[in-house]
Amino acid sequence: MAERQKIDARGAFCPGPLMELIAALKLSSIGEEIDIWSSDKGSASDIPAWCAKVGHQVVETSEHEGYWSVVVRKAK
Amino acid sequence: MSSKPLYLMLCSGEHEKIQLAAMVASVAAVSDRPVEVFVTMNAVLAFERGKIPAERYQGGHFHEMFKTANVPDAVELFGQGKMLGELKMWACSMVLDLKHWECETHLTEDLFDGPMGLAKFLADAEMGELITI
Repeated sequence: MAERQKIDARGAFCPGPLMELIAALKLSSIGEEIDIWSSDKGSASDIPAWCAKVGHQVVETSEHEGYWSVVVRKAK
Repeated sequence: MSSKPLYLMLCSGEHEKIQLAAMVASVAAVSDRPVEVFVTMNAVLAFERGKIPAERYQGGHFHEMFKTANVPDAVELFGQGKMLGELKMWACSMVLDLKHWECETHLTEDLFDGPMGLAKFLADAEMGELITI
């Protein structure tokens, strides 16, 4: 299994974390997973909503101290 | 299912309004929604070639916070929307005429698709949803 890529976007404001995720997905292969860390409160709901809209898969979302981790699998 | 295109008319030169326009346009574009932005009036001044971010934007309650916090630069957001989605930007031909400006020489590089008249933009916008900021 390929290593999961991590993007630390903590400190970036909306829509910075989402845009960083999208840029990374463009460069990834189908099936690869990206774990994006964001301290922007909206990301925890924005990123899953974006994935549902465009057809990528959210593997898990978890809240940590001061930030959220959202793992996304490239599906197309 | 493809989304209805979004047409955004940006006329304010206020920082927070340009920021909002950039956020709406870029997020819509990367969400598989075609976006066309018509930049006119004071807003055109923010896109003058050679300006640094500190010179581009003026006014609005959040102006100082945007500058000091790690908020994405509006011009860069428009650029990301173009790079990662289907986003076109048009500069108002009337404003360009008044300023004696050309897109290719006076506006931010690699951002504008060309000049456009209001009538053409409004006619195109009948195919989608129009927002004015």
